[in-house]
Amino acid sequence: MSALSNVKGPKSTRAGSKTLAKLAIRLGAFVAFAGILVYFAMTARGFTSPYNLMTVVEQSAILGLLAFGMTIVFAGTGTDVQRGGIDLSLAANAGLCAAVYAVMMREGYGNGLAIPAALITGMVVGLLNGIAVVSLRIIPLLGTLAVMNIAAGLELTLTENTVVSVSTPLMQVIAFGKFMGISTLAWCLIVVSMLLVWVMHFHRIGMRVYAVGGHHEAARAAGIDTGRYIYGAYIFAGFLAGVTSILIVSRLSSSTPGTGLMLLPILAAALLGTVFSRRFIPTIGGTLLAALFIGFLANGFQLLGISSYWVAGVQGALILLVVAVTSFAKNN
Amino acid sequence: MTTLAKPRLRFSLDTVSNYAVIIAFAVVVVIFSLTADGFLTGSNLMNLISNKVVLLAIIALGMTIVIGAGGIDLSVGVSIDLSSMIFIMMIAAGYAGFFAIMGGLAAAFCVGLANAILINKLKINPFLATLGVLFIGQSIQRLSTQGGVPIYLTRAEYAAPFDAIARTNLAGVPAPIIVMILCIIAVYLALHRSVFGRYVAALGAQAEVARYSGIRVAFNLSVVFIACAVLSGITGILLSSTVRSYVPFAGDAFLLDAIGATFIGTAISAERRPSVIGTLLGVLLLAVMRNGLLLIGWNFFWQQVGIGVLVFLVLGLSFGLKKRSE
Repeated sequence: MSALSNVKGPKSTRAGSKTLAKLAIRLGAFVAFAGILVYFAMTARGFTSPYNLMTVVEQSAILGLLAFGMTIVFAGTGTDVQRGGIDLSLAANAGLCAAVYAVMMREGYGNGLAIPAALITGMVVGLLNGIAVVSLRIIPLLGTLAVMNIAAGLELTLTENTVVSVSTPLMQVIAFGKFMGISTLAWCLIVVSMLLVWVMHFHRIGMRVYAVGGHHEAARAAGIDTGRYIYGAYIFAGFLAGVTSILIVSRLSSSTPGTGLMLLPILAAALLGTVFSRRFIPTIGGTLLAALFIGFLANGFQLLGISSYWVAGVQGALILLVVAVTSFAKNN
Repeated sequence: MTTLAKPRLRFSLDTVSNYAVIIAFAVVVVIFSLTADGFLTGSNLMNLISNKVVLLAIIALGMTIVIGAGGIDLSVGVSIDLSSMIFIMMIAAGYAGFFAIMGGLAAAFCVGLANAILINKLKINPFLATLGVLFIGQSIQRLSTQGGVPIYLTRAEYAAPFDAIARTNLAGVPAPIIVMILCIIAVYLALHRSVFGRYVAALGAQAEVARYSGIRVAFNLSVVFIACAVLSGITGILLSSTVRSYVPFAGDAFLLDAIGATFIGTAISAERRPSVIGTLLGVLLLAVMRNGLLLIGWNFFWQQVGIGVLVFLVLGLSFGLKKRSE
């Protein structure tokens, strides 16, 4: 991993003990991840079987894709949650898109109309966030909270709080299909994360998004239309919610109430992801690792027969531990 | 006459923006008085206050202190639930009402203390610290209730301590409303009429400057988070006395409304700072919307959409019309 970090970024010439300490902390996150994997591999029977590993990747796909949306919003608006940006509406948005898709399929519109409708719904909700945060200058925590209420309410009115079951050949392909031994859901995660790594970390669009989030005034002074990039971040997060909603409906063969409850795991994944980055900023790769980490943790617990009641608590303790270590490292 | 005496026209969009919440509240009340039958009757207003306002108001007061100090508390649901859980469990175990209340409040106190330690000692930012506590609190509830089984104490033998809290009247005013009024007065005095309140405002405006001015940041932040947790704990006890039961995760429903009410309330001050009056206005606005929409026959789902749209519009008016400070 240290070789990778050498390749990835130009090393500062002032690299002193501070950098070393940071490197140790950063590797610490990887070592902790690897250590937990090794522990599960040794103690939990069947953990390392290809089938199980693939299941975890599939289960992490939905969380990962939504967390990517949150990551991009964080990147474009800064991770200070109260003043900076956040998208509380993301999970409710995915629920609304899933409801739109499932209800349109039930009414017989077909994939050709239902999929674009779901994607457009997601982007419209993202646009609303953009209007609230950029044009009306409402605090993001609050603006997206109002949008979350609207999205969650619309989802409930569409589905009347019931399970809307649908089944189509396309959904069968998404839920059960395989290509080169890897299932469709896992492919979605792999392809989307590769695309996003390219856009966010190697393309100028991503660089500018990070510039806007890193220092708003400096970015504006440098001639970046900051508002447009923040709009873009929210709309793209909404688009990802639309894409994910189709995966959710396929996986469950239905639109099910309760997608909005994913908000906290999404936040956890996006925030936990920052410890996998060199400067403790939200990155696509970090979020991917964090989503997989959360997935492996839940899976390992299940295989070891530990009550699922512990999962939330351990996730919480883990977030606290990781963030405490990170902030300790930052202050040094 | 000197030129100084010439009054300047003070009416501007900027001033209007400070009154957005008050205008919205007035408009909503007038509309519901005209369209919803029975909205302005005494029994409906009493029902509105005791069912919709009391609990949310006490939690939102706690949230106002925390947000005023520049933080946020996502774990109010945990304080509510743990306090409610310990309270109900102690009543079921045969403790007297007073000790059960103390037990519940102690549980909430511990949640606040945990938040304070995480924020002060481990330097975790409040959003993440309280998010972690929220997750841990959910696990504690699952573990102590076999995954989330509610505890109902509806039999007559348990009724006495609950009725003492939820069904007593003092001069015709139900006890929960009196508790709420006491909380409002206490928080108002603490935030707006005391040194502590000035410290909170200083922390919220500029934490670093506050530190360099010699304010004991860690101590005051601890008081802030513990106060919020204890207020939520009071809510938990009122909630479980009213329904004579403990339902796991019941407190989570209040979190977003409390944050929403507090931030709506910031819109009435020119500096967009949280205040007790503003928060109460926010709570009333949300409660009146819920009640009025119900009376004119909107179902629960549409109520949520309606409230979301209203909050969006109010905030848009309030923040959008405000002059750019840059």
